[in-house]
Amino acid sequence: MIPVGFARAAWIVAAKDLRLEWRTWETLSSTLVFSLTVVVVFQFAFGLGTVRELGAARLVPGVIWTVVAFAAVVGMLRSLQLERARDTLGALFLCPVDRGAVYVGKAFANLVKLSLLQALLLPLTAVLFGHVLLPILVPLGLVCLVHGIGLTELGTLFAAVTTRLGRGEALLAVLLFPAASPLLISAVKCTAAALAGEPLATVSRWMLLSAGLDALYLLVGLATFEFVLEE
Amino acid sequence: MRRAVRALTLPLWALATLAMPLALWAAFLLAPEERVMGAAQKIFYFHVPAALVTYAAVAVLLAASIGYLWTRDRRWDNLSRSATEVGLLFCTLVLVTGPIWARPAWGTWWTWEARLTTTLLLWLLLLGCLMVRGYADDRDLGARLASIVGIVAALDIPIIHKAVVWWRGQHPVVFAPDKSESLAPGMAAALAVCTAAFFVLFALLLLLRYRVAALDERLHAAAEAARGREEIR
Repeated sequence: MIPVGFARAAWIVAAKDLRLEWRTWETLSSTLVFSLTVVVVFQFAFGLGTVRELGAARLVPGVIWTVVAFAAVVGMLRSLQLERARDTLGALFLCPVDRGAVYVGKAFANLVKLSLLQALLLPLTAVLFGHVLLPILVPLGLVCLVHGIGLTELGTLFAAVTTRLGRGEALLAVLLFPAASPLLISAVKCTAAALAGEPLATVSRWMLLSAGLDALYLLVGLATFEFVLEE
Repeated sequence: MRRAVRALTLPLWALATLAMPLALWAAFLLAPEERVMGAAQKIFYFHVPAALVTYAAVAVLLAASIGYLWTRDRRWDNLSRSATEVGLLFCTLVLVTGPIWARPAWGTWWTWEARLTTTLLLWLLLLGCLMVRGYADDRDLGARLASIVGIVAALDIPIIHKAVVWWRGQHPVVFAPDKSESLAPGMAAALAVCTAAFFVLFALLLLLRYRVAALDERLHAAAEAARGREEIR
């Protein structure tokens, strides 16, 4: 057998997950419908008067990130639970590659799925809450990417922990949300700035904090993922 | 190791028995009454030490979690399990005493202020560690996964704090380095006594919990061995 490098191994794992998603559209379709439902619930929860009074820039960041956080929990857990259901977690562990590569591959596939969801969710909120989208597309996209990276890094690690325990979304949410709280606070602040039409430089310290968290979570995930997979 | 732990218990117990009444004396008799807040301020002498002990417990949790993943020595796991539980206890004390003081001082039980929010998140993280351990059917799996969650939680706490400080602030700053006004001498002395007493209590509780964890492990090993003998017969 030809030994494969880190990047190649990570890509093989990610491509496998993405191919599975491409053929079934299972995660994206379910999380998208779930997100739509939550947005509708938000509309009812706030009422039309509150939405009009507060304005989109105050309300939509919270809605977007609440929806993304919960949809991420559902989607990321699914990607690990599939492996458990087919008894392939052990196979991934036995692969003669760095376990960090398996982690990076899984996290990358989750990031792609989450980014696709965000790409569909943003126009949806623009329509439903009536805010502009096109002029702020670049800064908003950047905010979603930087915070999506951290969320999938930590989420993939904790989804693996939850899966090994045979538990569901409730435990993953309990583990992930407190730990990811700096990321979520930052995400809401940056999204609010982008929606208000301010340049990202006004929230540069939040963006830097999130970029730092992305790096930290990646290191922690690389260092500890093998202990999760171990039998 | 086991003998050292056992030898330490009695002196620590005696020290804690002496220190706790001393802390009560310091808080209520030694420290002068605060001019504005009056008697309500006395809770400060228990609230602040409990918070310091919580952070110490998180430091022990981090060290023990890394120690376990590194060496796979069960004693590290027993230590991190003990630190999680005792830390959660003191964190709960902080969360209970805080609102009792905040109600007369700020006029509200709870505000989403930086340190309060950090403490609440820390409480949830510690609870998460305990849940992970509790859900695992296999001790080694629980130890590994709880160590990972423990490491993430401990590394996260300074960042969470920084983030919520940027988010908002209102907590009375007690240990600000460049502040002209500081605690009255009696108050500082009372705080020091209470902090020392709480650390003795923390050490004692950690030690006792560790001993229970070690006994639990021996019991499991004995039960396992008995089952093995049964099967051979």
